[in-house]
Amino acid sequence: MRRPLPLLLLAIGAIYGAWAIAHGSPYTLRVLSVAGIYALLALGYLMIFGQAGALALSSGTFMGIGAYAAGIAAARYGIGFDLALPLAVGLPVLLAALVAIPVLRLQTHYFALATLIISQIALLVATEWVGLTGGANGIGGIGGLTLAGFPIRAGWQSLALVWSAVAVGGWLAARMTGGLAGAGFAVMRADGATARAIGLDTDALRFAAFLASAAYGGFAGALYVHTIRVVSPDVLGFPVMVTCLTIAVVGGRRRVAGAIGGAVLVTLLPEWFRALRDYYLLAYGAILLAVIVLLPEGITEAAETLLARLLRPAPAPLPPALPVPPIAVTRGPLLEIDALTRSFGGLRALDDVSLRLAPGEVLGLIGPNGSGKTTLLNCVTGLYRPDAGRIRFLGADITRLPTHAIARAGLARTFQTVSLVAEMSALDNVAIAVEAASVGLLRALGGTGPQFTRARGIARTLLEAAGAAEVAQLPAGSLAYGIRRRVEIARALALRPRLLLLDEPAAGLNETEQADLAARLRDLAQGGLALLVIEHNMPFLLPLADRMICLDHGRVIASGSPAEIQSDPLVIEAYLGRGAA
Amino acid sequence: MHTALRAALLATLAAAPLAAVPCLARAAELDIPVLVPITGFLAVEGASQRNGAVLALRKPPAGITIKSSVIDTGTSPEVAVNALERALSDGAVAAAVAPMLGTQMLALLPVAEENKVPLITISGTAAITQKHNPYIFRFFPGDDVAKAAQVRYAIDHFKIAHPAILYQTTAYGQSGHAEILARLKEAAITPVYEDGLDVAVKDLAPSLAKARAAGADSLLLQLHGGPTALLMKAVAASGWKVAIIAGSGLTQPATTALLEPGELAGACAETSASPESRETPAMAAFVDAYRAAFDATPDGFALAQYDATNMVLAAAAQGARTAADITKALATMQYDGLAMRYRSDGTGNMAHSAVIVCYDGASRVPRVAWHFDKTP
Amino acid sequence: MDLGQIVFNLLALGAAYALVALGFVLILNATGAVNFAQGDLVMAGGFAAVSFASMLDWPGVLLLPLVMAGLALVGVAVALVAYLPLRRRPPESVFISTIAVGIIAQNAATLGFGAQARAAPPLLPGGDGPGQKLAIILVAAALIGALYVMFMHTQTGRRLRATAQDRDIAAAIGIRVDAMVIATFAVAASLAGAAGLLLANLFFVTPVDGANYILKAYIAVTIGGWGSIAGAVTGALLIALFEVLWPALPLLLPGLDAISGAFSQTMSTIALDIVILLLLMLRPQGLFGQAARSRA
Repeated sequence: MRRPLPLLLLAIGAIYGAWAIAHGSPYTLRVLSVAGIYALLALGYLMIFGQAGALALSSGTFMGIGAYAAGIAAARYGIGFDLALPLAVGLPVLLAALVAIPVLRLQTHYFALATLIISQIALLVATEWVGLTGGANGIGGIGGLTLAGFPIRAGWQSLALVWSAVAVGGWLAARMTGGLAGAGFAVMRADGATARAIGLDTDALRFAAFLASAAYGGFAGALYVHTIRVVSPDVLGFPVMVTCLTIAVVGGRRRVAGAIGGAVLVTLLPEWFRALRDYYLLAYGAILLAVIVLLPEGITEAAETLLARLLRPAPAPLPPALPVPPIAVTRGPLLEIDALTRSFGGLRALDDVSLRLAPGEVLGLIGPNGSGKTTLLNCVTGLYRPDAGRIRFLGADITRLPTHAIARAGLARTFQTVSLVAEMSALDNVAIAVEAASVGLLRALGGTGPQFTRARGIARTLLEAAGAAEVAQLPAGSLAYGIRRRVEIARALALRPRLLLLDEPAAGLNETEQADLAARLRDLAQGGLALLVIEHNMPFLLPLADRMICLDHGRVIASGSPAEIQSDPLVIEAYLGRGAA
Repeated sequence: MHTALRAALLATLAAAPLAAVPCLARAAELDIPVLVPITGFLAVEGASQRNGAVLALRKPPAGITIKSSVIDTGTSPEVAVNALERALSDGAVAAAVAPMLGTQMLALLPVAEENKVPLITISGTAAITQKHNPYIFRFFPGDDVAKAAQVRYAIDHFKIAHPAILYQTTAYGQSGHAEILARLKEAAITPVYEDGLDVAVKDLAPSLAKARAAGADSLLLQLHGGPTALLMKAVAASGWKVAIIAGSGLTQPATTALLEPGELAGACAETSASPESRETPAMAAFVDAYRAAFDATPDGFALAQYDATNMVLAAAAQGARTAADITKALATMQYDGLAMRYRSDGTGNMAHSAVIVCYDGASRVPRVAWHFDKTP
Repeated sequence: MDLGQIVFNLLALGAAYALVALGFVLILNATGAVNFAQGDLVMAGGFAAVSFASMLDWPGVLLLPLVMAGLALVGVAVALVAYLPLRRRPPESVFISTIAVGIIAQNAATLGFGAQARAAPPLLPGGDGPGQKLAIILVAAALIGALYVMFMHTQTGRRLRATAQDRDIAAAIGIRVDAMVIATFAVAASLAGAAGLLLANLFFVTPVDGANYILKAYIAVTIGGWGSIAGAVTGALLIALFEVLWPALPLLLPGLDAISGAFSQTMSTIALDIVILLLLMLRPQGLFGQAARSRA
């Protein structure tokens, strides 16, 4: 077993749960039930915060809205827990979908603030709309849990129901955070631009994760309101969100076991300290501080590291190598760029740039720093939107296509600085690109094991072809720079591209590595793959390129064979003139 | 009069257990946990509740020992329910002192009913005694009593015709606001201005200026202690001479300590009782004992919780030993506390009187201006 | 209540908020981490003022240096306990460690001072009302000015800025980065202390006040542009604008009386919330933030 921790925790949890049911007081059972409810909330937060990497401050609000939906249904219309579930889960999901349209694209703290503000508005509405919500006092007299019409009594029955939900929710979350989806999330967290460039639809992933967090929150809210038997603005307050965040960080923000273990710990801690009377919250704060300082990655990741050290688990065996599916060969122009213009503020980074590229052709793109080379690449791959001009690929207009769609159409790229996911194996870094188009949370629910295995098989072949087979199982972060460059090219080829854009591929390589890379690229071009290479290193580029283009101040100033470019006075001036002046 | 009654009652009660249970060999132990907000935004009121209850529990009737622990309820229903469950799991609870926060009480009601344990509280929120729950006993005048006193006094004494209402957007504020509106409507008075204030609102000058511009002749307040003090300061600073009839928030010593006596001049407020006004010798003795024990001045909340707890002890002195006994006694007994006579109206409302206190501008200690008794 | 008075109140409140937000943004720039205890440091400043005032019968303006020095020590402690051990960890770790510091501070204050609201002494003896507010505006402006001079025109300031810009490069050119970070915490905490004294005089202080102030600082800093000093001050003034000016609008423009419901205190908060959301949509990088783009 590669991951013994979940099993170990499951065993401890089962023993403790059995003990609690046999010997625990109603108080113990209730606190454990509440811990389970927070575990569900934290499982949802795991999706948006831990996996999608977005600092959302709205998960508490989703739980609150679920609680209000279930609470109002119960108190006003006599609808029990189970019948109100579609509403309690659906309403937060609907709200999340609506909110996502304007705010989901915001970055980090701007996203955090937007979700926080939406939470504040929800709290104000709940407090002020007295007729519906009972105002600040809330609504009491809500019945206990029910299932298919049968009452679930407080105590062990509630505990069993809540923790069954946690088990199902945890299993679903494990599916959505493992396999292909988990690998996809890892790439997305490491670098969004890279993720899109290998064909991952990061917007869809983030959207799905946000909705999933709302669904978990709503479910937790429905359980909560029938356990506490009252709904009040308290459940929409910021402290709930702080608890959720604390659970995530203390438990371990990426693991299902972390969400569940963190919830149990954070819920039980203050109760354990109650004997300290007036000092119990002080002690809670001190212990929380100690935990986070001593185990900053969270208790589950710390435990995992410890277990790995004790058990030294063997790495999973390499899957059998599978052939890379062939690419259909077409005739005609591959890439056509017409009159492309892009400005940043007052600065014209690209000014009326046009170029053509044929299948199997190697085009060198040179120019001084800041001349617009990378901007051109970013426009072609959809990371930037051009202000004017048109880009066609295989005859189709891709000017306005999102990055991931362009990548899936057969246009791959590498970045100036190698951007692999450091903690993921080289093999998985490549495998995720093989199946990027099928990464999605709904598909993940169905299980992606066989797909992932097949992708790994293909990735193994690609790594072998790139000369990196021996490092397949090592974490990418541990590899030498030259090897990482090979892995990155293997990953780009995993998209089975017709055109590969390389941004300074020789940078940081020694001469042997450069020669090796040049030979591999030449082979690829002979196999029919077109290359567009940005490079300053002329000894590397000149023998490789069929044709070259020189950019300066965003304009094409020269175009021709390597020999022509080398002797072009404008090119010489662009490179040397400024240095000499 | 109160004192005489109380002394007579105490004499009877002291003798009662000996007569009623002569075979009792050793002292009976009563478990009365104190569940109150020690942390969070109601911690001041929670401390009053705790001190009042603890002071009463220190002097149990003869033959009875008290087992009691103070458990913090914070301000969330979840923590309150945990606290009660914890107390219940510790042993046979005879009665529990319960928090004054209405939302928490709503959450505790079903737990109390399932475990058949009486809750004694000073929560003023209307809804808690409207649930037909036989285990809730409220020893503070509900908003229907307190707000009636506030509005009545404002009309009779200040002759208000165009009041402005400022209330907190908390359970306390919203519940009181609704009652004030209802009482004003009975008197055919329409407020000229209303605004709900979050507890975090800092600058009250705009609301005040708008009330003034609307032609208000008086301010009816339903604000917590701190915001009440902020508002009193803002009124004093603005130079507006306006009649102020405040909620019980003003009468807390912690509130008046924030104000100069001059800033209080002429203001009145409703509360259940004003112990620091020392109306009776028994009340004065209570204030002294409280000061000695806690180095603080008691407010109406502390006294109400003291009375409530003493009523439970009085029931115990009459032979009540179990939660069922005490529930029955609280539902049927009449008890003369220091603040008033307590008796259930059948739904658990024990307090049917309120007082109006007013400040003379020279002292932070108010004088009791009016006793209000709700006639059933 | 005329416009002059409203602007005056607005500036007094905004200036105090600006001090809170500035402390927040200083630590953010120096460490990349959010100090969630900043609001609780404001609360601690308020109680420091209360307790110094109970020992010394001084006006607030003389207590101010004492409070700021005291809070600077607290800031050093926070840096040592809650930041330095986590400096190589993801920033959310500091989020939680400072939340824990906040919980500790809040409960320590409850134990030490009780839960009731307390008032700090006024800045100037005897003065009340407008004079007090003017003094607050002047003190806050002086502190912000002093901060500017220290950052732009002193050696320490240059080192602090270098650290904020790039820790690794700062370390490479011989700046003791950890010492600079500790100094930043000290400065930020003393700003919070100053804000605490000013706010605790005008609006009292209770142990639970921290949460409210950290929210204000977070909103001010984000809306102003994550990491922008000018943005933090602007954001703070924007919040004060909606707390003071918005509810007073019907007084200034009598035509608005017909829709006076839109200017209640609650609606003022909602109006601010809506404006923030609109701003984020139009300028996703905040008012003074740089639009994110990778190297062209």
